[in-house]
Amino acid sequence: MTDRPDLLLGGTPTARRFGLLNWIGLLTFYRREMARGFKIWKITLAAPAIRAGLFASVFGLAIGSPGAMMGGQPFMAFLVPGLITVAVLERAFESAAFSIVYDKTEGIFGDLAVLPLTPGEIVLGFAAATVTGSLIVAAVVGVALFPFAGLFPAHPLALLFFVATGALMIGLFSQIAGLWAKKWDYINSVQTFIFLPFVFFSGVFFALESLSAAVRPFARANPVFYIVDGIRYGMTGRAEADPVFGAMVCLGMVAFFWIVSYRLFSVGYRMKS
Amino acid sequence: MPEVAENQMLNTPGRTAREVAPPRVRQFGAVNWRGLWTLYHREVKRFFKVFTQTLAAPVVTTLLFYTIFTVALQNRVGSMGAVSFTVFLAPGLIMMTILQNSFANTSSSMMTSKIQGNIVDVLMPPISPLEMLCGFLGGGITRGLIVGVSATIAMIVLVDFPFHNPAIILFFALTASAMMALLGMIGGIWAEKFDHMAAITNFVVVPLSFLSGTFYSIDRLPEIWQSVAHLNPFFYAIDGFRYGFIGQGDAPFWLGALVMLSVDLVLFLIVHRMLASGYKLKS
Repeated sequence: MTDRPDLLLGGTPTARRFGLLNWIGLLTFYRREMARGFKIWKITLAAPAIRAGLFASVFGLAIGSPGAMMGGQPFMAFLVPGLITVAVLERAFESAAFSIVYDKTEGIFGDLAVLPLTPGEIVLGFAAATVTGSLIVAAVVGVALFPFAGLFPAHPLALLFFVATGALMIGLFSQIAGLWAKKWDYINSVQTFIFLPFVFFSGVFFALESLSAAVRPFARANPVFYIVDGIRYGMTGRAEADPVFGAMVCLGMVAFFWIVSYRLFSVGYRMKS
Repeated sequence: MPEVAENQMLNTPGRTAREVAPPRVRQFGAVNWRGLWTLYHREVKRFFKVFTQTLAAPVVTTLLFYTIFTVALQNRVGSMGAVSFTVFLAPGLIMMTILQNSFANTSSSMMTSKIQGNIVDVLMPPISPLEMLCGFLGGGITRGLIVGVSATIAMIVLVDFPFHNPAIILFFALTASAMMALLGMIGGIWAEKFDHMAAITNFVVVPLSFLSGTFYSIDRLPEIWQSVAHLNPFFYAIDGFRYGFIGQGDAPFWLGALVMLSVDLVLFLIVHRMLASGYKLKS
């Protein structure tokens, strides 16, 4: 208790002071979240890699001819970045939400409220763990899919940016969904009825030009499209939309979700009863 | 002396133990129908209670799969055998959800009971291993069939596919969901943690249901994998089911029927043996 002289001297306890950030607390929280993901690595790393490989094989076998094109490039080169995106976003969605709902069902979620962490630090801790986890998933899945298209990143920095921003966007959304969810049912519903349709219709598996002209604007309004397109730009150097515009959209969504999540943690939405 | 003790135990001072009729074993006849029905009823209620997850979600996922595969591949694949790709794909996807859901029903039921410790509530009642097996199996088949019917209805809206022979369709839907329900029970009994179950689902069930001809005719496969496919019961389930719809398949449907029946029989005997011996259930 050397750092608490007030208590040693028998005076009234004063509030402990941290600098701008409670670094130790934040790092501990971050490490807990990371450990949770790594502990079940079979589900968080091996399963996405296998699933992506399955999708690639199935599409490849169904399409049959090696000369098939999509979005102006060979089909597999088009598909692989899409599959990496799916794996990244699925991991991002599952990271914070599953942690939060698990803690809720175990009755230990309230512990977050009594930690010496500000709402901003909690949001940051979750977000950092999500981004780290997603980058690892991206690397693992990217390596697993290498035999299918033999792709090396065309623009590594853009790739890194879009993987991180995409993961951040969905990770923040996942915090909000986790706070809202009272039970596993809720979060599974969000995943099946909101998250999956947004991801599947974002151009992960097909170029928007394959859609009829009537639905194309809706697909363009889907923010996930800009993540996929950006990651595809990073991998192959080709994109359907302007990557800079896509980056702006992604950052805008990140800012929006960050503010909402921060606000919810500040008021203790479905957290303090 | 023993009589006094018994009298005290019975707390009936005026009567001796001999006058109180000993409890008799209840008689059920050949089958404890009420017990069987109750277990089946519980199994069905289990998934109806969370129908958004167990019935609506699989249908939505199937439609999503259908959409992405048709949008991505339609103009690039053309036809599979004598039918268009969409007509080929629809029965495959329906069978895929049947397979995954009947497996999920029995495996998750077993697993949850084991983890929460209420498996004793199924082991204690006066039902035989055979009745217990049939109760779980019935629940798994029911879920498979309901999901299959809902997915078929949803699919009819999107694609115009024929119903070549409804009896064959029903036969393969039944035998395939029975196979998966039995496999789910084996998995559920064997697995000790949710991790194990997730591993079986991710590394066995999903790959087999994906790679067994849901999305493509197996003549697309290299020679060696074609022979492997002919050893895979998932392939016969999907192929026979599709034959029921479009009237053509990669293997003769009677062979598929034979394979399915024998696989079901073998799995049935294995599960019965596991339940009767109390493997991993009774310590």
